[in-house]
Amino acid sequence: MQEILRHSNVHVLHELDRLTTLLRDAPGVQMTELEPYYTWVKNAGEGLRQSVEQNLRDLNLGQRDILASIASETQKVTRFFHMLDQRLAGPVLRARPSDRLCLRVLRWLHEVHPQTLHIPAAVSDGQFASYPDPHWPTIYFMPPSAQTGLLYLPLFFHEFGHLLYACHEAEMDALVEQLQETLAELLTPGIQREDLHDRIEVEKRRTIVETWYAWAQELFCDAVGLTIGGPAFAHAFSLHLQMLGRGHFSLPADELARRDHPVTWLRIQLLVHRAREMGHQEDAEILDTRWKTLATALGIVADYHGFYEEEFLPAIQETIDDMLTEAEPVTYSDELTESTARASLFSSPIRLLHRAWKQFMENHDEFRQWEEREIVTFLQS
Amino acid sequence: MSTQWLAVQSFERSQDMLGAMNTLSIHLKLRLAGVPDEERRQAAARARETLTTFFKKLDATVQETQRGEATPLLGVDPRLRQLVKSFVSAKRDRRRFHSVLFQRMPGDMVSLFASEKEEDLEALVQCLAEFRVILEEHVYEDTARILGEI
Repeated sequence: MQEILRHSNVHVLHELDRLTTLLRDAPGVQMTELEPYYTWVKNAGEGLRQSVEQNLRDLNLGQRDILASIASETQKVTRFFHMLDQRLAGPVLRARPSDRLCLRVLRWLHEVHPQTLHIPAAVSDGQFASYPDPHWPTIYFMPPSAQTGLLYLPLFFHEFGHLLYACHEAEMDALVEQLQETLAELLTPGIQREDLHDRIEVEKRRTIVETWYAWAQELFCDAVGLTIGGPAFAHAFSLHLQMLGRGHFSLPADELARRDHPVTWLRIQLLVHRAREMGHQEDAEILDTRWKTLATALGIVADYHGFYEEEFLPAIQETIDDMLTEAEPVTYSDELTESTARASLFSSPIRLLHRAWKQFMENHDEFRQWEEREIVTFLQS
Repeated sequence: MSTQWLAVQSFERSQDMLGAMNTLSIHLKLRLAGVPDEERRQAAARARETLTTFFKKLDATVQETQRGEATPLLGVDPRLRQLVKSFVSAKRDRRRFHSVLFQRMPGDMVSLFASEKEEDLEALVQCLAEFRVILEEHVYEDTARILGEI
């Protein structure tokens, strides 16, 4: 056992050496915008090396009693090496000059929020997602084609919502707990019979209430997206998802129970509701009509199988309002008026993203040329 | 839009807990074997604090779960909920889990963490070793969700 563990730890050291060399020569090292992220990855590699060396020192003690713990520790460092190698190093190794656009938006986003000011950010290829843990740098995943344009950049603001949630986790969890209590009350019928049917209903109610933990966070992130990005976020969200099939309009009940996201059409309806409250009547109308038209064409009638009812709406909106108050994301309207002096080295992208969506909707044919010019100007600012 | 965020946060939390458990276990076993292990003393003290906080939180959630399977767990993320369910299920598995932790509640660990008595330290080592099994199974699932499987 001792020899297997020694060999495994030495192997991690060798692999780490290879990765360190790759990182040192990677294109991302030269990019100013990626510097804080690269420094974190380098330090994480160094921390990993120290852990492996500690394992080797512990093995040299020759104490059989501690072998199980060293084995667990060896598995832990191996897992983290794989994470570093396969995910965390990616943004540095795959860096492209075009990343500067995304990185500037992300650096601005992190720097104008005090709670994320010191959390490095990076971009990588993949479907829209993020690694939002305050103890790690945040990787934002985006499809490669979307990274080079302006239209989908507002979707970063949804992902940033997950990071804000994680930064205020205790308070956010308490708010979600209150919401879940309210939903449990709304779902509980006045009369209960204590028979088999009732037990099935109790189980269904438990599933619905527990599902709302992740759903509440997703709806909060949508609200963060709308707060920071304004209508540009709502349009980007809609355009990205509207042609991805029936599942975005309606799902069977057993499928809903396994999902960490509410059905997209429901998210659109809540975005429309919030956009109207924020005064974006025209944009809300466009979205609402578009999704209703598509649903009618597909022959779909909204049915959330008890996972959502109209009577849930006031409690949901109140919870999300409280979550926004707790997280304090910058607001789209403040950014547009330029009245606020922000503590970032990078220019606010909000005005540009707003204009991009306006241009895209009003003058689609000339959009690409316009976009290219604007990106160059933004990167020079 | 993907939900890897749940797995990533759970991965990070589990790795931290495993690190704390291993540090404390190695330190206690060396001490029990008469090796002073001065080098790890501070890290072991920090690990005790981390684990005390964790087991207190786990205790509250486990108590909530034991109110009945129909009672929803509120304000708890799905991965932590799964960990709690795994623990509650393990408490019923007397063949695999024998330590004090699985006979009582996670909150009872707090007194073990604070104790310096030899028999308590031995009990603590056994509890940590058994809980590590649950956590390792849990982090395996997180890793598979993030990195995939071969």
